[in-house]
Amino acid sequence: MLAIEAVNLTKVFGGFRAVDGVTLRVEEGVIFGLLGPNGAGKTTTIRMILGLLKPTSGYVRVYGIDVERDRRSVLRITGYMPQHFSLYEDLTVEENMRLYASLYGLGRGDAEERIRELMDEFMLRDFRGRLAGKLSGGTKQRLALAVALLHRPRLLVVDEPTAGVDPPLRRYFWGKFRELKERGVTILVTTHYMDEAENCDRIALMSRGRVAAEGSPLEIKRLAYGGDIIELVTAGDPRPALDGLAASVLEFEGDGSYSRVRLLVPDASEALVPLTRELEGRGVRVVRAYQVPLSLEEAFIRLTSRG
Amino acid sequence: MRRLGALAALIVKDVKQLLRDPRSLVMILLMPMAVMAMFVAGYGEERSSIPIVVVNLDGGPVSWRLIELLRSSGDFRVVAYAPTAEAGVELVRRGAAYAALVIPPGFSESVVRGRSTRVVTVLDASYATVSELVWQAAVVVVQSFMKAASEEYGTFYIDVERQTVYGPKVSSVDSFTSTIMGVLLHLVPMSLIAVSISRERERKTFEQLIMTPLSSWQIVVGKFVAYALVTIADMVATFGFAVYVLGVRVAGPLPALVTVSLLLLLCSLGLGLLISAVSRNQLQAYQAAIFFFIPSMLFSGFFMPVEMLSPAAQAVGRLLPLYYFLRAFRSIQLRGWGLQDVAGEVTALALETAAFLAAAVRVLRLRVE
Repeated sequence: MLAIEAVNLTKVFGGFRAVDGVTLRVEEGVIFGLLGPNGAGKTTTIRMILGLLKPTSGYVRVYGIDVERDRRSVLRITGYMPQHFSLYEDLTVEENMRLYASLYGLGRGDAEERIRELMDEFMLRDFRGRLAGKLSGGTKQRLALAVALLHRPRLLVVDEPTAGVDPPLRRYFWGKFRELKERGVTILVTTHYMDEAENCDRIALMSRGRVAAEGSPLEIKRLAYGGDIIELVTAGDPRPALDGLAASVLEFEGDGSYSRVRLLVPDASEALVPLTRELEGRGVRVVRAYQVPLSLEEAFIRLTSRG
Repeated sequence: MRRLGALAALIVKDVKQLLRDPRSLVMILLMPMAVMAMFVAGYGEERSSIPIVVVNLDGGPVSWRLIELLRSSGDFRVVAYAPTAEAGVELVRRGAAYAALVIPPGFSESVVRGRSTRVVTVLDASYATVSELVWQAAVVVVQSFMKAASEEYGTFYIDVERQTVYGPKVSSVDSFTSTIMGVLLHLVPMSLIAVSISRERERKTFEQLIMTPLSSWQIVVGKFVAYALVTIADMVATFGFAVYVLGVRVAGPLPALVTVSLLLLLCSLGLGLLISAVSRNQLQAYQAAIFFFIPSMLFSGFFMPVEMLSPAAQAVGRLLPLYYFLRAFRSIQLRGWGLQDVAGEVTALALETAAFLAAAVRVLRLRVE
């Protein structure tokens, strides 16, 4: 089942097309990353998905429910953690949680239980009587996520949860997201940190209001480069021996005795050993052979600079 | 010198910021113009005349000449001719006119025979400024009548006698209580609640709030009730201070006065919420509240009874909550009327409150744009 089906979303502010024909299909139970630099249209896209903004054109269904027509039913199964801390700073941690438990229509006993659970899970018990405005950035984020989960949503939407957050907490958050996924929650997360996006099952790269590419992190990288990259260090020049093999030379560096060559192959894990053997069979001594790890960042830049 | 340089830079920066903020600029330029335009529209052109009742117990030709002079003076508008002095006074009591002019029997004969006689002005003391105006204008009219008529009838003397209803004289504290209460119960709650939703928008808490399955009516009614509870405490304190510390006189029943005040308070909150629902930010909401208060001040009977303003201003006045409040409050406080006597005003305030709330629910968008 599709958790989110957003079709041809467009949002025009004045004359500016902030989001331009974005289509996203998010399968149930995955972590889906919306990736892109600031201003790419990520927040606008998720706001349209949540019905916080009315799309200029296009439509959104969440678990099959049309957001425009029946937003309230969507809200009952959707949790949202906005980019900026949006709870009441002049209420305490506990007051905020109780308020939202009531607003989501949790019964008294259920609310008690849920608040207790979440306070334990997100280490908020020590701060329960503190005003939300007096919390540190990390605790605020934990509270925001706890509140977003109060009503046990099936879909969690988080906008830049790790912006301005220190590395341990970033790691903590991604751990939480994976836990939630195990429990069957679908997660739509935006980020501009490319390294984090490796944690996602699928990502959509956004650039200037459009989806530049979509797929798993691995697929995205292969799409950007046209395959995987492996690097070989050999004695002598291996290039004549590569004739007829499914590998093309990207880079070559040689000092006469040893060479370093970067090759593009369709799939590194499949190609690395056979290719090395084949070269050795053709009389090339391979000193080292390894896959070159590719960054999503590099992939992103390649994919978006093509025009 | 360096300090002056820094100061100059600061001044330049602030002037630039003001000029680059179109909304402030509109306020700076438009506000004085709008206020002046409203002022001229309401007060500038030929002022409407004061409604009075004439009781002509004489009926002779001289008395009609006096009435004619009264009418042509332009200060008065005769809204009724009453058959008896009691009937005339009753009309003043009921607020149909601000004064009654009673010409006693035998007036014409006294004038013709050169004897001294009198006319009686019965003034509504609950409108101190108006009754003073009526009194002065009546004296002027009678004096000019004596001057003109003496050429024809020889010397005679007309004394202008002063009587009051709801009087004899209302102290200025009593007389201004309605105005002060009006300002407090209108401007304060309205501007307070006007920024409530826009503040949530600015602080982003609105974005989280509208992710819960709330309806706009719940948000509107929730804010309305919360602000009412808090501002009612404020109102009670103000009332207690006025009545028990300042010793303001309340001729009518106190519960009636409290009811009318409460209604204005609720109406102001409703109007403030409507402003809040349409405003994008706090500054805009606050300015809108103040901007709305200006016609309220000019056209609601704050300075001068609405009947004496231009017809256009009167029409605007009759839309304003403050107009109904001031009428009802004065009548209860100074004339001793009960709630049933101001049923019309009470109904108007209640209807406006309901209308403002309904409009606020309608215009409130549960979106972040």
